[in-house]
Amino acid sequence: MRDLLAGLRLALVVAGKDLRMELRSRTALLSALVFAALVLVVFNFSRDPTVLSATDLAPSVLWITFAFAAVVAMNRGFHAERANAAFDGLLLAPVPREAIFLGKLLANLAFVGAVEAVALPLFVLFFNVDLGGALPAILGVPALATVGFVAVGTLFSAMVVRTRFAELMLPVLLLPFMVPPLIGAVQATSRLLADRPLSEIAGWLRLLALYDIVFLTLSTLIFPAVVDE
Amino acid sequence: MQMPPQNQEYMIAAYVVAAAIYLGYALVLWRKGRRLLR
Amino acid sequence: MTAPADTPPLASAPSLESARRLVRRGWALTLLALAAAAGVYLLALAFTPLEVRQGAAQKIFYIHVPAAWAAMMAFSLVGLVSILYLWLKDPRLDRFAASSAEVGVVFSLVMLTTGPIWGKPIWGTWWTWDARLTLTLFLFFLFAGYLALRAALHDPAERARFSAVVGIMGLLLVPFVHLSVYLFRTLHPQPVVLKPSAPSLPGEMLRTLLVSVAVFTLLYVGLVTLRYGLALVEELREELRRDSAERWEGAR
Repeated sequence: MRDLLAGLRLALVVAGKDLRMELRSRTALLSALVFAALVLVVFNFSRDPTVLSATDLAPSVLWITFAFAAVVAMNRGFHAERANAAFDGLLLAPVPREAIFLGKLLANLAFVGAVEAVALPLFVLFFNVDLGGALPAILGVPALATVGFVAVGTLFSAMVVRTRFAELMLPVLLLPFMVPPLIGAVQATSRLLADRPLSEIAGWLRLLALYDIVFLTLSTLIFPAVVDE
Repeated sequence: MQMPPQNQEYMIAAYVVAAAIYLGYALVLWRKGRRLLR
Repeated sequence: MTAPADTPPLASAPSLESARRLVRRGWALTLLALAAAAGVYLLALAFTPLEVRQGAAQKIFYIHVPAAWAAMMAFSLVGLVSILYLWLKDPRLDRFAASSAEVGVVFSLVMLTTGPIWGKPIWGTWWTWDARLTLTLFLFFLFAGYLALRAALHDPAERARFSAVVGIMGLLLVPFVHLSVYLFRTLHPQPVVLKPSAPSLPGEMLRTLLVSVAVFTLLYVGLVTLRYGLALVEELREELRRDSAERWEGAR
């Protein structure tokens, strides 16, 4: 139990360090936000409102935005360590690898969460979306969907940082893993916006939850194999 | 007696494409072997 | 692209010889399988009855299904062998996984091309997001990503470890793809389409299909053996070159 708490505390330290670094430079965060705004604006101007209503298009647009922001976030994930060989320093310390992973994951989630928190109001604004009573669900679905593929992405970014074209390699590897949670998220968001009852999206929510559990666990367990010889 | 739809060109296309891919890969491996072993 | 160094016979020469043997055996199996595949072509085109509702295009079935079977098999083996590698750390397992992935991408390319070519005359559209085609696309991307990662990593141990991780993750993704497609289908009633694979095949069609599956399985085995042998030769050559370079430089 004590080890668990120590591990969690370490994870938070790792996350905190990452976030402080990101806040200092802010480049990745800004590019993700600019991208989000750009996507929202362009999609809005590119459609014919009489043919394609906002509510038809909105969920897909939103989730494409979130997905790209997540990839941007994760790309910067292990870069700092590689640049300074600080990663080796971190690994030399007798710390449980799972805690390092969790810390990185938390930092990535915070980053993606920040982008989502800004993009969602913009999205409601630009698409004139009527949230109705679905607000808690609208907030819950992104949380549920994001955790899964950010976990996989965090794991992959640890590997990909060792390759020459890391920024290209990460999306290539990650794309197939993003699709099931994104499908679930778009479906769920779309139905919630159409005021469908929660029971209709139960299947999708279960998919998202199952995906999260499986890949969060697997990524955490397999991370040591990536960083240790 | 129902006439089957006339779509032989698709069948031929698929059979040719598949053969081309398999033979193409065999060729790639042959060239690799020549480079490594001769 | 440097030429392999000329080296005197060393203790590793017998390994090179066993690698050459594997390559020869791989070629024997592959050529046999390719000849048999030509036979399957003949069998399917000339000696199998025409399906009345779908016409000649239905015969694509005898090429598409074995490719699908081989691709799935290749993929599953990559996943399973990856698990074994992380456990046992045997480089032979990594070499096998890499070979199976490369051969697998070839079979999934055949799936990805013959599938739409079959779909167009039968369903009227090149692509549908049904379970089979969607999974084909995923398999292809997973294979391609796996191979791209391997190409980008140069340290053998790191490459083996990272590939194994991707292989295992990929294996676990497949059930979720199935589930997504299933949910999509059940919650989105699709117009009833003519299903190309009839639930019960008449005898002669079944026979052709089974023969075809057997032949393309043999092709898979031959190609993987061949690829494995070539990978081994490549590694041994690289090792010899490194050793002789070290000797000449006096470096240690």
